[in-house]
Amino acid sequence: MTLPSSPAGRLAPRLSRGATPGAGGGVSRVLRRAYRRHYFHAYLFVAPVLIAFGLFRVWPAVQTLYFSLFKVELLRGQLTFVGLQNFADLVGDAIFRQAFVNTVIYAAVIVPVAAGLGLGLAVLCHEPFRGREVLKAIYFAPMVTSTVAAAMVWWWLYNPQYGLFNVFLRLLHLPTSSWLLSSTMALPSIILFSVWKTLGYNMVIYLAGLQGVPQEFYEVATLDGAGAWQRFWRITLPLLAPVTAFILIYNGIFAFQVFDQVFVLTGGGPANSTNVVVLELYRQAFQRYRFGYASAQAMVLFLLILGITLLQFRVSRRYEVTY
Amino acid sequence: MGRPPWWGVLLVLLLLVAGLPGAFAQPKTTITIWYPAGDITASAFHFRDPTLFLPFEVAHNVKVEPVALVYDTMQQKIFAAAAARDVADILFVDQSWVPGFLKEDMLEPVDPAKARRWLDSVSPEMVELSDYGGGKMFGYPQYGIDVYGITWNKAHFREAGLDPERPPQTWDELRDYAKRLTVRDAAGNITRVGYAIRHVGHPHGVVHKHLWAIWAAGADLVDNPLALKGGQPKFNNPAGRAALKLVHDMIYVDRSTSLAFPDPRAAFLRGIASMQISETVSIRARQPREAPGMPWGTGWGTALPPVPKAGMRPVTNLNAWMYTVPRQARNKELAWRLIEWVNSEIKDYELAKRFEATPRFKANWAKEPFKSDSYAQTLLKMYPYGRKYPINLGLNGIMDALGAAIQNAWHNRMSIEEALALADRQARQAILDAAK
Amino acid sequence: MARLAGRAMVVVVLAGGAVVMILPFYWMLVTAVSPAPEITAFPPRWVPSRIVWDHFREAWTTAPWPVYYKNSAVVAVVSVGCSMFFGLFAGYAFAVYSFPLQTPLFLLILGTLMVPVQVTSVALYVLLARWGLVDTYTGILAPNLASAFAVFLIRQAIRSIPIDLVDAARMDGAGEVRIVLGIVAPLIKPVLAAVAMILFLNSWNDFLWPVIVINSEHMRTLPVGIALFKDPYGFINYGPLMAATVIAVAPMLAAYALSQRFMIRGVALTGMK
Repeated sequence: MTLPSSPAGRLAPRLSRGATPGAGGGVSRVLRRAYRRHYFHAYLFVAPVLIAFGLFRVWPAVQTLYFSLFKVELLRGQLTFVGLQNFADLVGDAIFRQAFVNTVIYAAVIVPVAAGLGLGLAVLCHEPFRGREVLKAIYFAPMVTSTVAAAMVWWWLYNPQYGLFNVFLRLLHLPTSSWLLSSTMALPSIILFSVWKTLGYNMVIYLAGLQGVPQEFYEVATLDGAGAWQRFWRITLPLLAPVTAFILIYNGIFAFQVFDQVFVLTGGGPANSTNVVVLELYRQAFQRYRFGYASAQAMVLFLLILGITLLQFRVSRRYEVTY
Repeated sequence: MGRPPWWGVLLVLLLLVAGLPGAFAQPKTTITIWYPAGDITASAFHFRDPTLFLPFEVAHNVKVEPVALVYDTMQQKIFAAAAARDVADILFVDQSWVPGFLKEDMLEPVDPAKARRWLDSVSPEMVELSDYGGGKMFGYPQYGIDVYGITWNKAHFREAGLDPERPPQTWDELRDYAKRLTVRDAAGNITRVGYAIRHVGHPHGVVHKHLWAIWAAGADLVDNPLALKGGQPKFNNPAGRAALKLVHDMIYVDRSTSLAFPDPRAAFLRGIASMQISETVSIRARQPREAPGMPWGTGWGTALPPVPKAGMRPVTNLNAWMYTVPRQARNKELAWRLIEWVNSEIKDYELAKRFEATPRFKANWAKEPFKSDSYAQTLLKMYPYGRKYPINLGLNGIMDALGAAIQNAWHNRMSIEEALALADRQARQAILDAAK
Repeated sequence: MARLAGRAMVVVVLAGGAVVMILPFYWMLVTAVSPAPEITAFPPRWVPSRIVWDHFREAWTTAPWPVYYKNSAVVAVVSVGCSMFFGLFAGYAFAVYSFPLQTPLFLLILGTLMVPVQVTSVALYVLLARWGLVDTYTGILAPNLASAFAVFLIRQAIRSIPIDLVDAARMDGAGEVRIVLGIVAPLIKPVLAAVAMILFLNSWNDFLWPVIVINSEHMRTLPVGIALFKDPYGFINYGPLMAATVIAVAPMLAAYALSQRFMIRGVALTGMK
């Protein structure tokens, strides 16, 4: 029970980095048995993950594609094939179009703004000073709070009569706003909340990135007479480009899935001005009970995420070359 | 040296996960009731009283478990749970959802003999609410029906030099009163609206709170409200446009109402709205706790909503919350028995008296305290003007469409004409889909 | 001198920003403990005249918070436990072994990151409804029994440890399972801790899938409980609402306050959010 596993064990890691098992001919019987053993272990070890994902991630994904071609009536247990009708309906659906546009606006604003602020904070926070850790912790705190609970607090802050935002405006003798109750201010209000929520994350990632920037670069630049601003543009920003790419794409993927804060703060209203793709999908499926149609919407969301992910592959490949 | 039984660990973990649902399953003798949480319907919080079903529980050796759901997501949860065969035994639902459930063939009908007996012994407005055509019933409406009325703050009226005993009778008066009652701060921000509107949240809620105007102007949700299938929407017309314009003018011309006061009842009870139109029963139930300085009679009053022109017949919403049994319920027989018990003549009297609501049985109206209670009598005078929601199976879609139109128009995202035209198309589609 | 002034400016700006960042938390606390009239007072009262616990009492009696806590804890512990346990072995297999379909299977697992539950919720719901798993712990846990992130990060970590250690153990006759649990796991403890911490946070704060799959009050997790605690239109009871929010977030914030360096480093290490 003891010996056979050892020689194969020494080979296995090397094999996993490129070579083919069994190549080179003279593999002993013992070794071959060992490989079988390790196939057994390999499949056994990955099986739980594969089963869990297969059942609850991959199969539903396949089903989503399938359902998107059907009219699904769950209560009656009926599936009626409708071809691409669901997708055709999507094109003409003003509410879905609105939700799609809102989602894109949300992502297009939140991603660069939160990344820019995160970068700024990270650069300011990079050099050590007293209380730095406390400040970092404060900026990061919204990240560990549940979105739902945090949104609840902001819902109160946005209250038009007694919320802090309007209280400040009143103290300054300025006209107040209806915030979440105004169809023009509601989406910006949600974006503002999300910036507050995700800022700390970007800051921490950028700080980690900054640690990888060699200090000598700055020293040389300073000797050359470059000011702080120039150092930022010429050294920090270009060297952080891979980090920035990661942050933009990762946040982008999350931004397209926004749901929690919209659900709590506005429920998609007023007048659909804050409706987003996931919320609309949720409504179509679980309120209108149109599972087929909702599946078609889910496919659109999937294509969005797929698009960003492919973009990520392209971008990260470029940086691999540079580095 | 024993190897750790890795497969054993795996097995135990897998079993644990698989076994979880069984370990936490409910005991079988429980009758569940789903009801809306919060103050949406005043009578729903009665379910929080643990003694409510006690006699029934003892008599039948069962446990009655009321579960609070959120109004806005309640319909969704019911549909979802019914599909999963995991729905409550009794659904306490807004009557305007019932057509949606009927569309999916989800509700058990009431036994015809029992329905006949019920319709014979309750008052006329209850008959209207209960009957789904030809004496067919799908549930029992709760005591203390939702009749909508204008409620007004008498202190504010006095302050503004208005007669505190005379609410606005016409739309012109409503606008005039509302203007006079509105209060602003130095910066020009409205701190109190003359009239509060509902414009966010569940589209049904938005429509409910403005139907009085739509109906009074002569428009309607559908042309034949008593038909289950077919028909046309009937709000994309001058009457419908006038009804939406009334509030639009109050927001943007008179500035006597505002989009910043989203909950008419809460604003009214808080004293930051002088008038509002919604379920009077809700104000009645909440006022003692939330606005103790504003008692019924001297502090606030209720009356029928105003009409477009003097001399027209007033109209208002008559709605109820209904005890229904879903087809997917586990304990149907016990569920019906519980419903019949809580909706019996004796219980009707007992509970309506205890919760200061109006009774349903004709016999109970003849008894005290209802006979001489000024609030109950006021409601009784309003009931004949009440109109129930259409029973068209496409009602959910129609409400969604009109609710969106109201929001689009009041938020100036579309003109009133565009908003109603769009809603008209959507409502037509909903009616067609439902008739299939 | 100018440099010093610059540094001072930076600190002032950062501190100002921090005040803005922390203000919502502060206001949540103040609202939760202020006497009711002060909550809506104008000008606002930044420090309550006295501390009252009425709002907490009301919040505590209106909803079964211990039940919500228990549910959140069960879901988080089981999902993190399974994800870590399965992820450790799968990560080891992908890092150390070579087997047919290795790359396709690995890409398949990573590919699930592209189809989040937001995309599959409808079909997953239908599936679980057929199996009668709606409104059960298994239903809530189903999409979170394994984590692609955990597999990926653990694989990366294992690839970076010296393989001689594993070989030496094999020479000594240790079985594969023992190697994984006894040798590899301790070596990558920082990564395991960071991944587990983040998975726990995600599970604890998860909302979309639980709100879909949970029906009854006794199954609600904390985020679902707090979301449904809010009266959709009422704007009167902010005191109890903020008290409820404090009840819901306090333990996590307290844990964060005690271990913020570890948590922040964990995020920086894994890049997960």
